[in-house]
Amino acid sequence: MKNTGVIFFPAFDWSLGELHPEREERLLYTQEQIFEEGIMDLPQIRQYSPGVSHIGDVLRTQAIFPSPKEHHLDAHLIAVGSSLVLGDALMKKEIANGFALVRPPGHHSGATVWGNRGFCTLNNEAILINYLRAKYGVKRIAVVDTDVHHGDGTQDIFYHDPNVLFISIHQDGKTLYPGTGFITEKGGPNAWDSVLNIPLLPGIGDEGVIYALENWIMPRVEAFKPDVIINSAGQDNHFTDPLASMNVTARGYGKITELIKPDLAVLEGGYAIEGALPYINMAILLALAGEDYSGVIEPQKPVDKEIGGTAVRTYLNGLKKQQEAVDPYWNYRNDHFLPGGNWVYLEKSTYYDTDEFKENRKDYIRVCNHCGGTVLSMTQKLSAFQKGVLIRIPFEACSQCEQAGYDLAETLTKSEKTVVLQNQLRNDVRIWNNGEEVSTFGLKN
Amino acid sequence: MGSLIGIDVGGTYTDAVRITDGHIDIKGKIPTNQDDILSTVIAALDHLKISESKDIDHITVSTTLVTNAIVQNRLPDVRLVLFPGSGMKLSALPWPVSYTAFAGELDYRGRVVKETDIVEFQALADELKQVSPKPLTAIVSKFSHRNNIFEEKLAAFLKEEVPELTVALGSQYGQTNFYRRSLTTYLNVAAGELFHRFTEQLLQALAVRGCHAPVRVLKADGGVLPLAKIRPVESIYSGPAASVLGAMAQSTSEKSYVIVDVGGTTTDIGLVLSGSPLASMHGAQIGDFLTNVRSLAVRSLSVGGDSAVIMEDGEITLADYRLGPAYCIGGHVPTPTDAIRYLNLSDYGDYARAKEALMTLLPEDQQHTQKLQETALHIVAMMTEKIAQAIEQLLEEWKTEPAYKVWEVIHHQNDFKFFIQLSGGGAPGIKVALARRMKTETILTDHSEVSNAIGAAMAKPTFSWTLHLDTKFRIYRIEETGEQGCWTGPKKPHRLVEDFLRELAQSHIASLGIKADDLEKEIFDYFPLVENYHTVGQIIRGAMHVPPGVIGRITT
Repeated sequence: MKNTGVIFFPAFDWSLGELHPEREERLLYTQEQIFEEGIMDLPQIRQYSPGVSHIGDVLRTQAIFPSPKEHHLDAHLIAVGSSLVLGDALMKKEIANGFALVRPPGHHSGATVWGNRGFCTLNNEAILINYLRAKYGVKRIAVVDTDVHHGDGTQDIFYHDPNVLFISIHQDGKTLYPGTGFITEKGGPNAWDSVLNIPLLPGIGDEGVIYALENWIMPRVEAFKPDVIINSAGQDNHFTDPLASMNVTARGYGKITELIKPDLAVLEGGYAIEGALPYINMAILLALAGEDYSGVIEPQKPVDKEIGGTAVRTYLNGLKKQQEAVDPYWNYRNDHFLPGGNWVYLEKSTYYDTDEFKENRKDYIRVCNHCGGTVLSMTQKLSAFQKGVLIRIPFEACSQCEQAGYDLAETLTKSEKTVVLQNQLRNDVRIWNNGEEVSTFGLKN
Repeated sequence: MGSLIGIDVGGTYTDAVRITDGHIDIKGKIPTNQDDILSTVIAALDHLKISESKDIDHITVSTTLVTNAIVQNRLPDVRLVLFPGSGMKLSALPWPVSYTAFAGELDYRGRVVKETDIVEFQALADELKQVSPKPLTAIVSKFSHRNNIFEEKLAAFLKEEVPELTVALGSQYGQTNFYRRSLTTYLNVAAGELFHRFTEQLLQALAVRGCHAPVRVLKADGGVLPLAKIRPVESIYSGPAASVLGAMAQSTSEKSYVIVDVGGTTTDIGLVLSGSPLASMHGAQIGDFLTNVRSLAVRSLSVGGDSAVIMEDGEITLADYRLGPAYCIGGHVPTPTDAIRYLNLSDYGDYARAKEALMTLLPEDQQHTQKLQETALHIVAMMTEKIAQAIEQLLEEWKTEPAYKVWEVIHHQNDFKFFIQLSGGGAPGIKVALARRMKTETILTDHSEVSNAIGAAMAKPTFSWTLHLDTKFRIYRIEETGEQGCWTGPKKPHRLVEDFLRELAQSHIASLGIKADDLEKEIFDYFPLVENYHTVGQIIRGAMHVPPGVIGRITT
């Protein structure tokens, strides 16, 4: 029998504030609905208990500044840990697919973390992906992010990684947080075209999303030949969502799940906690478990008519042509601390809405024909005048890029306060504070 | 203090004890007549000389009456009417009984989404008027534990139209899970008459013997309730609960231990954590029926002292069935009991016959002492391995219980040190082997053979009151009793709600006629309800328990 693994972790004692959308009540009605339906009694459903992630598994993927100890991570580590539990179950073939129905979410959390933004502190899916690569040697992974918001954190983490295909379908960044995810964002110099963003018109509805999946997203996923497919299953495309306006139904979500066929789905956003979540979560679970979800009908009906029809198809076909026509353009830099090779320079500025501050970051990517290339990120939390450095030697790094990473660490530990060396190649993380190595966080154990 | 009487009706034997001031006065074991549980219980009471006993505090019965009737499919059919609304298809889950689905839908907060259809009501009534005798009827709506409106409506309609009809409502079993609630309601109403007849005849038999002591029935959750207050379906699986309680009554430890009760046909395995028996996260399953009957986390293994040892493909194997008693006590097939007797790990049964039993498993040229010894050890090892694996599974199940709060996950304690408390006829035989296999101490219980009856006699009453309160809609509900009422308190009652539940529990305790000095409070969860950036009320979940346990300890 095809088993579907589920971890239901609603974090009933955790919130970002009493009136915050990310509050205790968020999955309360989902629990009522799913437990009342008896979904956990389906013979093919296997419920797992939540896990707690080791901080080492986090640091392999995300650098946390000024130090992990400065953040309240308990709830986040459980959301991550639960995703990893299902990852293990998948790799051990205990389950055919799984759904981490967990809070808090993670897809806005990027490669460098100074705090909480877009309700996210740790990136559940990204940490899971690198865990599967490090522990099980998984090579190629595709992420389809169906949250209504652009999965900017996940994109940031894998922007230079040719072995992770990141696709995000979301409401246009011109009309919605976080204001990114345009068709011009297609990946870094060594990973061009490993990122696909599909910004949608508000109100596009089931038909539009399904059309995009069938004619654009899934053909790209299939061409990539991933070993594992992850779905960042945000639920805020629903017609009752208070923050967005995409007009998708719960049954639409069932169909979306059926088309993506994710090995693992991880809950992301979705804040229509009464009108949408109980029904969408049920539809996703039933779709994963191979059950009929056609009876999942919300009590409310959509107020706006979905756009649908020729208008949507024309829009999407045009967008696809535009996206395919975007060519790369790079700035090169030769700063004194950079080792040999060509280095592409990128700049970004990120606003942490939850904690209200800004991060500025300068990224240097070693151009490489053999691997994803070593990446240097120099980050700064503006309000606090705090700085941090992340050096990432990627999975399957070539020897030149690996050496470049070590050279960078040697140089920068002399001048910078906090330096994190994320050595994905050797599955090791090293951290220096004022030139002193502080902890390796026992990643190898 | 007077005497306590305990009767445990098992698959093969029925155990009986009389306990006075912590001492066992009389104990006995009589064969169970599965076709006549009542006469078995009465025979056990007679064995204890019930008519001569003065001053009996209570008689507790743990019986397989309802369990057997369900498993053997001897219960009458029930007309099951469902209001499933939308959602998952009913056919997604295996329904062991047929049902009729009516229109009408509620949501997770008990709001009416779609009204019921009076035409369907009338058609059902008309149909029921035609049939005789009237079928038992169970009505269950999805989310009836949040709002019983549809169930009450149909019940009232049928009462008017078909007054003689017996109707049971799912909202009386107010736990979340429509599927289990439906099947539990079904079984309870189906078992009603059987159980009622049993209690009447038992009380009559006791009266004839001049005994008027209160009679209690053991439940699957390890607690007891007075005969008149128990729901028949709650009496299922009391046997394993009796095993756990029996071991607790004979253990002086407040520590954590695994209980292994090796019976003739089955071995029950339970878990005690810091002196409290572990409850199962899920309702009990009986036959094809998944229920929401609370039970202790117990594993019942089809392996025991009388399990048949057979040759399969030239290998000695342990069957998961029994073919009569052990060879050494007059049976026809070799069993672990014979192996244990041959190894002198017990003096139960005839040594010569035990040896004979083992010889039947070996070719003639190998029937020498060394080979017999090896064979006997092999049989004990097979039995030990099966039990050890079940222990490991149970521990794993406990360690991987679902958790829904950060606090629970961060503080989940799963590094208890365990010893093993062994009871039952086969216990001495595996004491050493199991200790070695599980790398822990094994302790034998003194009155192993009547452990379950001791558990029944010494069991405390239990009850739980699980509250679900929605202060916005001003409705409160109690899971265990199905009570639904109007909340008149404030929108954000905070601690007030704990007092409310405590008072409610205490008045119910009085009406149940049980003693409960140790009402335990669970942590209450408060969910602020937010609408348009304002808190408009709270959903509060909380519970109070009279936890399971034993009245005292057996002294030797």
